[in-house]
Amino acid sequence: MKRNVPLMIALLGGLLMIIQYFIPHQASQDVFNYYTEWAPLVGAFALILGVGSITRVHVHKIRARAPNWPYSYAVLLPLYLMPVFGLMLPVIMGGGTDGPGFFDFMYSRVQIPIQATMFSMLAFYIASAAFRAFRAKSALATVLLVTAIVVMLAQVPIGDLLGRWLPDTGLWILRFPNLAAKRAIELGVGFGMLATCLKIIFGVERGWLGGAGE
Amino acid sequence: MTNRWEKMLNIDRRWLYLLIAIVVIVPFFIRMGLPVVPTQEVRSVYDLVDSLGPDDAIFIGWDFDPGTEAENMPMGVAVLRHAFARHVPVFITAVSPLGQGLAEQGVASVFDTRVPGNFVYVPWAEWESVREAGYVGRDSLESAWEAAGNPLPEGARGWVFEGVDYAHLGYLPYFSLVILGMGTSIANQYPTDAYGNNLHDMPMLQAHKNLREVDLAVTLAGSSACMWWILYGTSRVGLPVAFGVTAVMATDYFPYIQSGQVVGMMGGLRGAAEYEVLETEGGYTETTGKAYRGMDVQSLAHILIILLVILGNIAYFAGGFHKKTALKSRR
Repeated sequence: MKRNVPLMIALLGGLLMIIQYFIPHQASQDVFNYYTEWAPLVGAFALILGVGSITRVHVHKIRARAPNWPYSYAVLLPLYLMPVFGLMLPVIMGGGTDGPGFFDFMYSRVQIPIQATMFSMLAFYIASAAFRAFRAKSALATVLLVTAIVVMLAQVPIGDLLGRWLPDTGLWILRFPNLAAKRAIELGVGFGMLATCLKIIFGVERGWLGGAGE
Repeated sequence: MTNRWEKMLNIDRRWLYLLIAIVVIVPFFIRMGLPVVPTQEVRSVYDLVDSLGPDDAIFIGWDFDPGTEAENMPMGVAVLRHAFARHVPVFITAVSPLGQGLAEQGVASVFDTRVPGNFVYVPWAEWESVREAGYVGRDSLESAWEAAGNPLPEGARGWVFEGVDYAHLGYLPYFSLVILGMGTSIANQYPTDAYGNNLHDMPMLQAHKNLREVDLAVTLAGSSACMWWILYGTSRVGLPVAFGVTAVMATDYFPYIQSGQVVGMMGGLRGAAEYEVLETEGGYTETTGKAYRGMDVQSLAHILIILLVILGNIAYFAGGFHKKTALKSRR
């Protein structure tokens, strides 16, 4: 029962959505609209499960004094404080989502700078990695290296100053060899997704059941 | 001789970090103003926005997080400025809560009237009296608003009336489903805007009820979220979509431009700078913006990295390390 009911729901739901796509009728459109209104509601329950799950994992880590357990407080405190300050506390107590307040402070003075900093550090690591690892060790590696240099120069105005042929060559690489390779990869991924979807709908792939009914 | 090359290859990485820090900081103080030549991919986006007017509408999806703000934000600001200058109604959405906050920051930079050439924002509630007198069109609204004792501040480029020129729809979860739903009705997905105003009452929602009545969606993305607009917008209701993506991602989407599924693409900071150049050439802005300024930094950083790659290879081969199995590592 625990296995067959979800499998039947996946089969019926999957087939219904495939069939309705090819039927240009109001009734078919109504089914589709009904689904798009319901799906976020189902997702909202997944959010409850997610918050519950992450809370349980980190509370367990703190209780067990597992390695790096103090960091669990860094997960749990913002997880609960941000909604409390943003949605529950009145503005006079530093609540609300608009500034100035705790929520706005944490968002614009902590979260945004942290994320931007993490990404910005890539420039330093790329420079170091390129110096140490980007070697013309073989013919293919040399092609990759030369291509990378041409595309990098083509992406910046200095490339235009060195000669119009440079950005033109860079764009040619992006528009033709790159496009051909990407299209092949995308087609492969697309067919893979199609096969996986059909396997889920027809119950061949059952990993998503999470072992229910075993 | 070998020792010198080995020493060079094993240089303390902090020297490399210092070099990068210098080349990204110095150009902010010493402007180079290198020329940026727009590509066809960016020109296509610009031309489409430039062909629209008050009867049309576009979506700008703030579909990125702070990590890629440096690249995506200038694109959004440039397209927003262009659309406002042409009185093209703009719907703003976000695929994440962080994106909604960033959208507010981007829009605020265009509404900052301390900066010449910006726009004056008139919130929905503020022009209620004019609305109650009977809204019959944007031109008459502007005249009525100014006649009611609201002169356009000196240096400002124009008015932006919320509900007519601009609606901030904000963030909704499961955005792929939201795009699907907007194919039928925008207001059903977003009964209110990000500030709690009823969208059903807004003139721009009455003129553009669903995505079939929208002329372009520009998605500014630092992830594959941009594909949702293609999968659920273009393929389902024929919505024209343009991409504004990071330089790293841009290579992935050339197949979609060639197939015609994507109108055009702004790739990385360069794409944003190209859009700014086109706007300046078109007379929509006096000067180029942050992206154009950032191209000096990017030019020097790319040159430095290329030099480092070349130096690394010279040391590698001149030192004969290609014949050995490994370098002594003190990295």
